[in-house]
Amino acid sequence: MKTTSDFPSINERTPVGQMDGRAIKVLIVDDSMFVTKQISQILTSEGFDIVGTAADGAEGVEKYKELFPEVDLVTMDITMPRMDGVTALEKIVEFDKNANVIMVSALGKQDLVKKSLMLGAKNYIVKPLDRKKVLERVISAIK
Amino acid sequence: MRVEYINPFVEAAFNIIKEVLQCEVNREELYLKKSTQPVMGVAAIVGLAGDVEGRVLIDMSQETAIKVASTMNGEELTSMDELVKATITELANMVTAQAVTKLHDLGFKFDLTPPAIITGENMQVSDINVEALIVPLGLPHGKIEINVAIRERLGV
Repeated sequence: MKTTSDFPSINERTPVGQMDGRAIKVLIVDDSMFVTKQISQILTSEGFDIVGTAADGAEGVEKYKELFPEVDLVTMDITMPRMDGVTALEKIVEFDKNANVIMVSALGKQDLVKKSLMLGAKNYIVKPLDRKKVLERVISAIK
Repeated sequence: MRVEYINPFVEAAFNIIKEVLQCEVNREELYLKKSTQPVMGVAAIVGLAGDVEGRVLIDMSQETAIKVASTMNGEELTSMDELVKATITELANMVTAQAVTKLHDLGFKFDLTPPAIITGENMQVSDINVEALIVPLGLPHGKIEINVAIRERLGV
């Protein structure tokens, strides 16, 4: 009988979006349909599971509470209508101090990024989004 | 209008467009437009207020906008839909954010409005007493004009 070791797999690398064979669940909070789509394409192609999206901070907090504890990671835009990303981050961390929130920002918002990291954001990504960097930062946030 | 204000926008537009579209971008001859200016059909507009005031327009035809958005999304888009608008808005957002970071480093202080996008035929933009400097960028998708009208704040 042949064992699997007789057939070295070319697909040995597990997708980065899996922990213990389970897909990492992501909530995307961003007011731009384009950015939401871009992040979701990058992450799903690596085995992540997008469990929700929200178009502003208030909706993001709501969705987080609704989905909890079925969210492993949140990507959070900074500038959004109704409630900005920094406030939404604060509210999510208040609700779940172990939340993994990663901020998404265009350049020019360093002060807000710094503030977010102090408030408990795990990492940040700068736009335009670079696939490799997004994955790198996301993985470091959930480790 | 001082060139220090303009250059960061032009450079940022050049860099960002090159990066997101992965294509050659040619800077064409600059020119000035008088206060009532026709725009090409899709204009993402960002307002500035602070040490300087004014606005920056990223202007292109609908056809170009659809092609640019198609490349940025990695799929064929065919009409001026919500996704195309969101994509062009995001392009303007990235350009202005990078430009403002540079201007802050140079010591200028001001804020930006989030980009708004306007689309239509035969539109004109009027700025009272401000001439706009136009920087045309040529790319395979068509022409994109960076249209900057900035003045130092009156009474400062």
